[in-house]
Amino acid sequence: MIFSSLPVWYVDMIGSVIMIVLSLLCLGKVRGLKKLDEDNIIWTYLQWVCYALAVFAISRSAGHLLKQLLLFSGHRLAWSRIQPFSGAVNTFMFMAVASVTIFFERIWKVYQQILADKQALQQAHAELLYLNQNLEKLVSERTEALAFSEHKYRRIFEVSKDMILVTEADGRIAEINPVGYEMLGYNGGKSPVGRLLQEHFADPRDWQRIRSMLSREGFCASVEVEIRRRDDTRFKTLFSGSLDHDPAQHQEIMHFLVKDIDQRKSMEQQMAQADKLASIGQLAAGIAHEINNPLGIILGYTQLLLRGEQAGQERYNDLKTIEKHVRSCKLIVEDLLNFARSSETKKEAISVNQALDDVLSFIQHHSDLGRIEVIRDYAEDIPAVLLDEKKIKQVLINLIMNARDAVGREGTITLATYYDPATRRVLIRVADDGYGIEKKNLSRIFDPFFTTKPTGEATGLGLSVSYAIVKNQGGDISVQSKPGKGTVFTVSLPAKRGDALK
Amino acid sequence: MRRRRTMPHLCALLAAALPVMQASPALATQGHGGIEGVYIHQLAHLFFMLSMAILIFRLREERLVAHKGWRYIQYAAFLFILWNIDAFVVHLLDDQLCIVQLSRLNAWQLQVTGPNHFLVRLYYMAKLDHLLCVPALWFLYLGLKHLLAEARRAAPGEKSS
Repeated sequence: MIFSSLPVWYVDMIGSVIMIVLSLLCLGKVRGLKKLDEDNIIWTYLQWVCYALAVFAISRSAGHLLKQLLLFSGHRLAWSRIQPFSGAVNTFMFMAVASVTIFFERIWKVYQQILADKQALQQAHAELLYLNQNLEKLVSERTEALAFSEHKYRRIFEVSKDMILVTEADGRIAEINPVGYEMLGYNGGKSPVGRLLQEHFADPRDWQRIRSMLSREGFCASVEVEIRRRDDTRFKTLFSGSLDHDPAQHQEIMHFLVKDIDQRKSMEQQMAQADKLASIGQLAAGIAHEINNPLGIILGYTQLLLRGEQAGQERYNDLKTIEKHVRSCKLIVEDLLNFARSSETKKEAISVNQALDDVLSFIQHHSDLGRIEVIRDYAEDIPAVLLDEKKIKQVLINLIMNARDAVGREGTITLATYYDPATRRVLIRVADDGYGIEKKNLSRIFDPFFTTKPTGEATGLGLSVSYAIVKNQGGDISVQSKPGKGTVFTVSLPAKRGDALK
Repeated sequence: MRRRRTMPHLCALLAAALPVMQASPALATQGHGGIEGVYIHQLAHLFFMLSMAILIFRLREERLVAHKGWRYIQYAAFLFILWNIDAFVVHLLDDQLCIVQLSRLNAWQLQVTGPNHFLVRLYYMAKLDHLLCVPALWFLYLGLKHLLAEARRAAPGEKSS
């Protein structure tokens, strides 16, 4: 078939020229990219592709142009000599283009890695720059926060109403809060720091128990322990603790929180005592009521028989003995009734100081105080109390007579009064330096018929009746005693409401 | 100290030298005449095609074709593949298989002879290969132009052109 050579000729010639131009334009653009970022590996890759394509395009186009010109001008022989060289160069160049192009995947992965590293470096640089510029401010902020935190926890440590302490592994006290000083009885500059905590345990087995719990479980919670103060007084506590490690010296340390439950225990005992006394009171009231009537009849008939007898006769004396013992029995029964039930009271505003003076005067007239010194330590300006005067005087007589019996021939009885505005109560304290009450008897002294005196000398109803009277008047009575050192009875009575200090 | 065993080494050396010592025509260098150049040219076209196909695959795999510049480069690679097929067919028909012959009758006419009209027409059309490689380079130029514009926009302190 015969074709016009013009289309082929034109496309070949014009196409070759355009290819040269376009390859050069591509080189220009890729150089622009390289200028923007010399180190960008993708631009370098494109530059190599464009260089290879440009050489390929120029060599190929030059060959084509030369071919057309030589053939058009009739120099076929010349072209046949050049053709192998031109073809070889052409083959080599597009192999070079293909070789460069095929590395795109590897180049792109390297580029991604570089970008990630660059981003990480930039971020690190920005962080460093920020830290460098704000180091002082940051340190200041952190220090302030630390100081605030330290202050907060220090305050908790200092103002806690429970003992907080840190000990070393052997129980040596390393730190203790101010309440701990008080609880352990360290006053006047003395410090428990450096002493062994277990020395303050009343029972050494408690310390072993706590130590083994800490070793086994790492903590102990609410273990009841009796603690001994420096002055050897004791009180009940609840121990909670945990095992820790000193971050600085990597040693084992222990933290303890110790709650004083002595008051709670004491209150529980008081409540138990009150329950016990109430039960005894009900029982006694029943018995007393049943005995009182027969006693009245016996006394009546005895007195009737006495009228018909002459004084001095044997029969008269026998009847008198009966009358005396019946009266004694009636007195006991009346005391029991007084203890058991709240009989009608005639309340009036009285001064406790005056009442004490009256009672003391009465005792001094009717009893020999011998060489017993009575110290009156009355607070002035204490409010009046609204009480049945006779009954409160009976309580005071009981307490002072007990004190006199405890002191013996020689000693001191201190009568003190004062007012506690916080509780609005007037307090009367009767203290002696007698032989005191043994600990085992302390919980029983308000029990009816309990007495340590020889049989016949006391009925054991004095303190029971006093207890009942004070409770009926809305007051309270407590006792502290140490064998060999003396006893203190404290009666607390409500002050008259709205009464100004007198 | 180890004893040197020289006899086995000597025997091995003689055995290796035996073929060299026999007289025969020199065969050390292979000749490269004939059609070998056509084959290597055809293989080069296949290699170019493969590299362009791999480039398209990677561009799509990395989702770079979402950017206009790389999308144009993808088009360029595709047109280069078509150009390679075109050139491969032309070389196959005339140089490799010699099915089609081209002769210039005069300055304005060409004669193409072949087994049938279809192949002859196909050959004539395929000779216009610039219609594929020129657009390929044009798309490459456009791709680079857009990449440059994007890079300028992204570069700090550069004014977009």
